[in-house]
Amino acid sequence: MIVARIGRKSAIIFYMSANETSHIRNFSIVAHIDHGKSTISDRVLELTHTVEERDLDSQMLDTMDIERERGITIKSNAVRVMYDADDGETYQFNLIDTPGHVDFTYEVSRSLAACEGAVLVVDSTQGVEAQTVSNAILAMNANLDIVPAINKIDLPSAEPERVRAEIEDALAIPAEDAVCVSGKTGAGIHDLLESIVFLVSPPSGDADAPLKALIIDSYFDQFRGVVATVRVFDGSIKAGDTLHMMAADSDFLVDDVGAKRPAETSLPVLSVGEVGYVVTGLKDPGAVHVGDTLTGASRRCAEALPGYREAKPMVFTGLFPIDNKEYENLRDALEKLRVNDPSLTWSPETSVALGFGFRVGFLGLLHMEVVKERLEREFDLDLIGTSPSVDYHVFTTAGEMLDIKSPQDLPSPEKIARIEEPYLKATVIVPPEYMGAVIQLVIEHRGIQDNMVYLAENSVEITFFIPLAELILDFFDQLKSRTKGYASLDYEFADYRASDLVKLDVLLAGEMVDALSFIVHKDKAYTLARGLCDKLKEIIPRQQFEVPIQGAIGNKIISRSTVKAVRKDVLAKCYGGDISRKRKLLEKQKEGKKRMKQIGTVDVPQEAFLAVLKVDDE
Amino acid sequence: MSARVLYLHAPFCKRKCSYCDFASFATPAGDPLMASYGAALLRQIDEAEKIGLIDGLDTAYVGGGTPTFMGGSTVELVERIAALGPSEVTVEANPDSASLDLLSNLRDAGATRISMGVQSLDDGELRMLGRVHDAQTALEALHVAVSLGLSVSADLMCAIPLQTPSSWLYTLGGVIGAGIGHVSVYPLMIEEGTPFFQAVEAGEMPAPDDGDEAARMEEAAAILTAHGYERYEVASYARPGRMCRHNLSYWTGASYLGIGAGAASMFGHDEIPLVADAFPQIGQVPANAHRIRLSCKTDRRLMAENPSLADQVIDVEFLNERESLAEDLMLGARMARGLDRDLVSRSRDVMGQELDECLAGLIDDGYLDDALAPTEKGWLLGNELYGRLWDLAEAAD
Repeated sequence: MIVARIGRKSAIIFYMSANETSHIRNFSIVAHIDHGKSTISDRVLELTHTVEERDLDSQMLDTMDIERERGITIKSNAVRVMYDADDGETYQFNLIDTPGHVDFTYEVSRSLAACEGAVLVVDSTQGVEAQTVSNAILAMNANLDIVPAINKIDLPSAEPERVRAEIEDALAIPAEDAVCVSGKTGAGIHDLLESIVFLVSPPSGDADAPLKALIIDSYFDQFRGVVATVRVFDGSIKAGDTLHMMAADSDFLVDDVGAKRPAETSLPVLSVGEVGYVVTGLKDPGAVHVGDTLTGASRRCAEALPGYREAKPMVFTGLFPIDNKEYENLRDALEKLRVNDPSLTWSPETSVALGFGFRVGFLGLLHMEVVKERLEREFDLDLIGTSPSVDYHVFTTAGEMLDIKSPQDLPSPEKIARIEEPYLKATVIVPPEYMGAVIQLVIEHRGIQDNMVYLAENSVEITFFIPLAELILDFFDQLKSRTKGYASLDYEFADYRASDLVKLDVLLAGEMVDALSFIVHKDKAYTLARGLCDKLKEIIPRQQFEVPIQGAIGNKIISRSTVKAVRKDVLAKCYGGDISRKRKLLEKQKEGKKRMKQIGTVDVPQEAFLAVLKVDDE
Repeated sequence: MSARVLYLHAPFCKRKCSYCDFASFATPAGDPLMASYGAALLRQIDEAEKIGLIDGLDTAYVGGGTPTFMGGSTVELVERIAALGPSEVTVEANPDSASLDLLSNLRDAGATRISMGVQSLDDGELRMLGRVHDAQTALEALHVAVSLGLSVSADLMCAIPLQTPSSWLYTLGGVIGAGIGHVSVYPLMIEEGTPFFQAVEAGEMPAPDDGDEAARMEEAAAILTAHGYERYEVASYARPGRMCRHNLSYWTGASYLGIGAGAASMFGHDEIPLVADAFPQIGQVPANAHRIRLSCKTDRRLMAENPSLADQVIDVEFLNERESLAEDLMLGARMARGLDRDLVSRSRDVMGQELDECLAGLIDDGYLDDALAPTEKGWLLGNELYGRLWDLAEAAD
């Protein structure tokens, strides 16, 4: 339980009347992954006495277990802190945390839409990286005041002067006054807070105009229904108001309003310029759309805020409960996750091998992993995820265009006139010595180089077009390993392009396993089929009989490997009279088996269905 | 009723072998801890006898660790046990500490059987395993024990790195040539928390190959059988009259008391009041408890300081009737004579048709023969066989 302490002076003006927007600062902290955004957020909470140091569970704003474990922020989160500035005034800071991964660029942009400023954190040991650039561009496009902060200056390898020059050269952001900070030691955080007061504009807005507020996030509370995080641009919100959601075209009665400090604290009103939460009482998790505009039910604003757009899923995978009885539970769990993750989409899918499940759309691979992990942990489901696919446009000889998101749905070759696949425009930033390695990797993944510029003496930006399907296979892992972790990657959807694609099937013990099929470029089919057969041979445990694994295109077998039959599996060792221990070992073995899916006579572990992601390129 | 089978545990070794995860610790030679620990075991034997938990013995077994490393303390323990009248008293020995003097003292104190931790007769393999003895010492120790008139068994380990088919034959031939009556054969197991486990994880050592394990186990079976040893359990071979009756008790549901740090005990339904009396720390015994299994988790030093049975840290497990029967079926399938008819019929009374379906499946799939004894496949793929029998512990829905 986190107990927020409200400072004496802060308590008095913890909520402000509308004419005090001059003392409000709404800002985000943006950074490339691992540049220390969450640690700086923690220091800000600490220095403003929002939480005491001893209550500071590391990385406060990352509330999900997965976020803390992986050290990434996935969900937006808005916290209000009160800052007693050197000028003797107290300011209301609304810190809107943003996700730190390229999969969640849309979430970043919608969080930024709620701010007037952004703190751009750059790691003084790493310099400007791909997401530093993309985040800076997002912030500039949103017309935000940018406060550059050079982090990790406590490290011996810190090079703040080099990084300062890089920010100016690569991003054209004045950085001579950039604050040098250490999220770890807290050095410079005071200066950073002062810079926010002076560099970030206060919100402007009309307190007397009809309400206009942006929904920047929402979550479901089983007792209070949907709770939305909002930014008020005009007017105000208080309990008892009837509000209208413009895109959803529906109304609700406000049960309560308040702000997170970081515990939820009820307030009489959310005034113009402020950020806070609104308890809607709505019982349907799908009723509130992030990005929608709130206005008065009777007194409406003229037009909605820009900002609402459907986040488009790019990667699709089949999710199947190992136990088919869990199908309905999986559906309920997906519904619940969609409340604060509107980008999640799904449709039912049936597999001969895996039974009933869903084809689920994700923003990217990390998003996919995170959702799958949350489903398994928070809803206690055992799931099999199949190889990710992209949305192919298949033009049939009959002149139709089909959206194919699952290899199973691909029509037979004679019915296909051509297939188009989504391409991305991708950016890699890397030290010059790795340029060759990156270009090589891009070519191996069917990429087409577009441009190459020096951002600084030690930093080259390479842009290229690449099929999304190639990027989701193993591109990022390969990029990291071939550049010793120096490269950073960013991408956005470009267009659809025609490609020579085929469906590769896998047979286990002579039976085609539909859930293992995937679509691949013809030139790579043989190598991938061979790699996949070898990988599956490693993953599928030896059974009491021989299991042949075959890769096939149509009726033609193009690769083969064999899982040898197990010869010996017995605990011969005598544990004296410790029979309990012997039994526990047997039970452990059985437990392992339960986590596998029996396909025909073969026990197949979950990870086999993602084996294609782990095939080595060689 | 009282238990007629006693196990004593000696958690001391000169050095810990690289594969070993048993309750045993490297200890300086002559450490006074061993004498005070031995005294604690004597005290617990007295208590158990007084309560009636043991009352006259059929068999006893002093295992480890390395009981011979405890020297005189082990002789005293054997003397004490012998007074309870067992007809079989086994002492585990390491060749390194199995001197002529000690073995003859043990015999004079009442030991009838020595189980020698030979493992291999190849010096390279022994060094690799982290054993403290060499092949010559092992052979000498076997000869000394045999010539003292003791019944002798050798533990051998197969499918270890560096072992070749011919070095394995050499080891088997060597122990057979020593004229011993009993041989146990175990494949090397990589146990979590051991140096070998770390080495395998780090890729510095190959994981055991089950093909090699199967081949070595089959070779052992062929050679030992040809030399008059009968395989009476998955890992145990004996010449006529030389089976280890103590170990047979473990596999046939007999009650036994285990004393010492790391020792396990098992008691049937009738002894539960006595057990609750001797070990008040186990608390309430559920009404449907049919069998009780105890495992002593006390640190050996603490045991030396607090020697009473009631002071020991005990893991306890209660089994109901159905679980007890399933356990006996599981253990029965380890033995060449197979599942006992009487046990099968008692199990049928509780499990009904499920038992017959399970047995029919095991026969159809080739794990058991028609006499309900393990087949060749049942020996090598025993975990499937034992696992399916243990699954009977829970009624199918």
